Amino acid sequence: MTGTNWVGLYTLTKREVGRFFSVYRQTVLPGLISSGLYILIFGFTLEQRIGEIDGVPYTLFILPGLIMMNTLTNASSNASSSMLQMKLLQQLPDILTAPLSSLELSLAYIIGGTVRGMVNGILVLLLGVLLIDMPVHHPLATLGFIFLVSWAFSSMGLLLGQLADSWDQLAMMQNFFLTPLSFLGGIFYSIKMLPDWAQQLSLVNPIYYMINGLRYTVLGVYDSSPLNSFLMALFMTILFTTAAILLMKSGKKIKQ
Amino acid sequence: MNVPAVHISGLHKSYEDTKALCGVDLTIKDGQFYGLLGPNGAGKTTTIHILTGLVLKNEGITEIYGKDIVKDFRFTRSQIGIAHQELPIDWFFPLEKLLYFHAGYYGITQKKAKPRVEELLERLGLKDKRTSRLRQLSGGMKRRYQLAKALVHDPKILILDEPTAGIDVELRHELWDYLRELHQNGKTILLTTHYIEEAELLCEKVGIIDKGKIIKEGSPADLTRELGKAGINVHITGWNDELKNAFSDYSYTLEDNRLHFTVRDPEEVMASIIQILSNHGCQIHSVSTEKSSLEDVFLNLTGKGIN
Ligand SMILES: Nc1ncnc2c1ncn2[C@@H]1O[C@H](COP(=O)(O)OP(=O)(O)OP(=O)(O)O)[C@@H](O)[C@H]1O
Ligand SMILES: [Mg+2]
Repeated sequence: MTGTNWVGLYTLTKREVGRFFSVYRQTVLPGLISSGLYILIFGFTLEQRIGEIDGVPYTLFILPGLIMMNTLTNASSNASSSMLQMKLLQQLPDILTAPLSSLELSLAYIIGGTVRGMVNGILVLLLGVLLIDMPVHHPLATLGFIFLVSWAFSSMGLLLGQLADSWDQLAMMQNFFLTPLSFLGGIFYSIKMLPDWAQQLSLVNPIYYMINGLRYTVLGVYDSSPLNSFLMALFMTILFTTAAILLMKSGKKIKQ
Repeated sequence: MNVPAVHISGLHKSYEDTKALCGVDLTIKDGQFYGLLGPNGAGKTTTIHILTGLVLKNEGITEIYGKDIVKDFRFTRSQIGIAHQELPIDWFFPLEKLLYFHAGYYGITQKKAKPRVEELLERLGLKDKRTSRLRQLSGGMKRRYQLAKALVHDPKILILDEPTAGIDVELRHELWDYLRELHQNGKTILLTTHYIEEAELLCEKVGIIDKGKIIKEGSPADLTRELGKAGINVHITGWNDELKNAFSDYSYTLEDNRLHFTVRDPEEVMASIIQILSNHGCQIHSVSTEKSSLEDVFLNLTGKGIN
């Protein structure tokens, strides 16, 4: 066997995707249900009391944020939990002893997480389209952006999954970083509504750019330039992909 | 083929605080059945893990059919099928699917792997478990699954890290038969075990490893002959001082008319001992021999039992 082990890469990717689909009740439905609840609660009750933001009804305004939150938490948790699980359950030896390169291993995990991020994001997007007739201004850009963010956070997940030794550490990342940063990234508000200092602070939150970018591709409105959002997503994609692959190559956390 | 299947030389490995391997040298010929014996913590698993790319070595040569295991990992790993000591857990996929996945990692499509998977399921008695999850299998079934997995890409070298640990006697004998068959069909096999009997029965060559070094190598028969202490017991009456001279070259004890000779090969010297005794007018009531086993050799060398 020389060159790329395509069958191997395909098989491991299939396994990664199959793994989360086989437990879709844990990996696909929860995000869909909670997003549906947000839409119902805001759409039918609170929306009457909250004004429009940037000329957009409130329920519509929060949807891109919900899509992003679903996309990035699912993308990151797929790769991280799969990697940690394989470590803890003695499955990792099977793939580490196979003729798969570090690059192929990494790609399989990253693609698995990317697929999960996209499936979750797109389902919430469809939910918005079906329930509240959400318009999608730039459909291709929307899909492209969801893909990019999924890839970035899936790579981050792979990085974290390699570094983590316990479920506790992964849960901590999720609860103390990803979720707060998502909420503070402007899912529920425009940062223009914040005091100056809080606006400045929001600008160092990468997730703010993810939400802002998608809000542009879906609704056509934005707080800061869509180009910045795209560049930030691209930057994170490159950064995390490189870091995850290099760590895998070094074998530092998965081989002794 | 003249290139050895496995060639390890001067292999060193330290974990954070333990030196696991201190210069392991090990060569396995193509088609050989090799047994690695050693007490807990001797470095068997570490050696195997380095060979298969699971653990990074510190220094040393590690080659499979003359190719470096790091530089030519695609080639070397394709040659090896390994059944790990630790049993995996998986609750996502049925057993059959896991075997197809495994074949896939080695570049074999599901379609191509099908006859092989069917054959292995049949041969290892896992046919009616094909849709079970691993956690639903007994320990013995999991071991058989491990073996099926190791063989699914039809590797030339089979590495088995304690394949019969926790397996009942009947299944152990079935597995031995299967391993013999695989060996006859040309597979090179490296086996680690805690059952000396297993090594004695199956292996053409045995290496005894202790504290990260191979301290002795040879065929089980050679090792027992060279290092084992066999004995001859003779029950006599009529011991006399002349016999002391006659037996001055022998190592023996005398207690209650029972002579015990420590010898290398009882069959070889028994006749002459009996001859000397009867020449000096001793009455011989009974003679028995005790043969040393690989187990004794092992005890002698490592100073501890294998379990
Ligand atoms: N991951 C690890 N981290 C630190 N030390 C390790 C690790 N794995 C093994 N060791 C140490 O390396 C030494 C050799 O262990 P190894 O597992 O190779 O022994 P073994 O011969 O396979 O033993 P056993 O018969 O119990 O399976 C032991 O001292 C062990 O404690
Ligand atoms: Mg071991």
